[in-house]
Amino acid sequence: MLQSRFLLIFLGLSLAGCVTSRVEDAREKVTGLKDDQSVVIMTKSYHQGNETEGDYLACVERALGGGSKGINVIPHQQFVDTLFPWFEPRTAPADTKGLPALMDRPGVADAITNMGVRYVVWLDGDTERVAEGGSLSCAAGPGGGGCFGFAWWQNDADYEASVWDLEGNDSAGTVSADVSGTSFLPALIVPIPLIARTQTKACKGLAQQLRAFIVQ
Amino acid sequence: MIDKLRSVSLAGLAAILMVGCSSTVTMEAPTIPEPRIDKIPVDVAVRIPAEFEHFVHVEEVLGKDTWTIDLGRSNAAFFTQLFGHMFDSLIVLGPDDDPRDYQFDALIEPAIDGFEFSTPGQSQSQAFAVWIRYRMSVFDSVGNRASTWTVNAYGKSQKEGMGGGDSLERAAVLAMRDAAALIIMQMDRTTKISQLANGPLDPESVESDTVFAEAGTDSEEPASVIGIFAIGGIDDAAE
Repeated sequence: MLQSRFLLIFLGLSLAGCVTSRVEDAREKVTGLKDDQSVVIMTKSYHQGNETEGDYLACVERALGGGSKGINVIPHQQFVDTLFPWFEPRTAPADTKGLPALMDRPGVADAITNMGVRYVVWLDGDTERVAEGGSLSCAAGPGGGGCFGFAWWQNDADYEASVWDLEGNDSAGTVSADVSGTSFLPALIVPIPLIARTQTKACKGLAQQLRAFIVQ
Repeated sequence: MIDKLRSVSLAGLAAILMVGCSSTVTMEAPTIPEPRIDKIPVDVAVRIPAEFEHFVHVEEVLGKDTWTIDLGRSNAAFFTQLFGHMFDSLIVLGPDDDPRDYQFDALIEPAIDGFEFSTPGQSQSQAFAVWIRYRMSVFDSVGNRASTWTVNAYGKSQKEGMGGGDSLERAAVLAMRDAAALIIMQMDRTTKISQLANGPLDPESVESDTVFAEAGTDSEEPASVIGIFAIGGIDDAAE
């Protein structure tokens, strides 16, 4: 019984990092999504210096499409392959001004209509370690081993999602998530990780706000 | 017995260390999706050079590890798919085939001028990056060189997993797709290959540089050299 309680406390502490978050949106037009319409999540091009992680993109896709209130999400690789080569990192339009010319290319508008894509969401930003400190040392010998010390680190996750409406070939607005998390690792023989899940929090926060933004 | 156990342990440790110091990535042939373009109305032959059948690049990170990437036949598959999608008809020639035995409007001879990559340890980032520089020589139906075009392609992929081999392969595939996008967008504009459908170049405007006389050699000055640079914009300067 006592062991179970310790295990629960340990698991609870492991999940409990210190996280602060701010998620907000800036709307430029009225949005909405019909049942037969869908959304594509893309990352801005690395040719422009963007470093958005692939697992963050996958997380937003899952979070947006999952659950009872999930919306239709077309996998980004399927979208990019179907419209090859017009959404490659080099060729993708940098802003909505390039959309009319893109739609005039052979088969592009038809392919987008067939997939039912109404909105393209462009992710920009990344998660970075901005500070760290403390010291932790571990030793092992014939009689056993252990760690002693205290380490901490702070991650900042700053992401912005620009929503393009392919029905009007214009911008619908932006949603941004700014999450800061500090993780701790105290060790007295056994290290106890107190991890702040900064990127996951930024993913879920952004996806939730994005869904509300698109569906209204 | 103890000595034997010690020897086995040391041999095992040495093997682990040696494996830890080198990584080999073997690439599968990439799939280039059918592009959303109008085909260029030219009958084209592509001559796949011998190096495209088995291209291996080794990168030694100073004082650290050695990375080997085996592209295998991926470049041959890449150009065959790409040109098949781009042109009205395509004939694929091997390095030993004589182009004079075939009917076509233009012959394209791709080559790798340069291949480089960086690991996260080198770039102090969490990504693998691959640069490929292709040289595309275009000849008319009688073997006069119409133009030479350099295509610089770039691919980048975030490191995932422990080893990073999959990420390096993904970066190489992205670099090939980048090259494909560039070639699709710029090839006709820069090499004017579609004009070769009207017949071979005017003999008076052609320098004495033919491909059929010396198959596979590329020592003379080209009639036209066009460069496209991946980073820092596009340069369409033609002589």
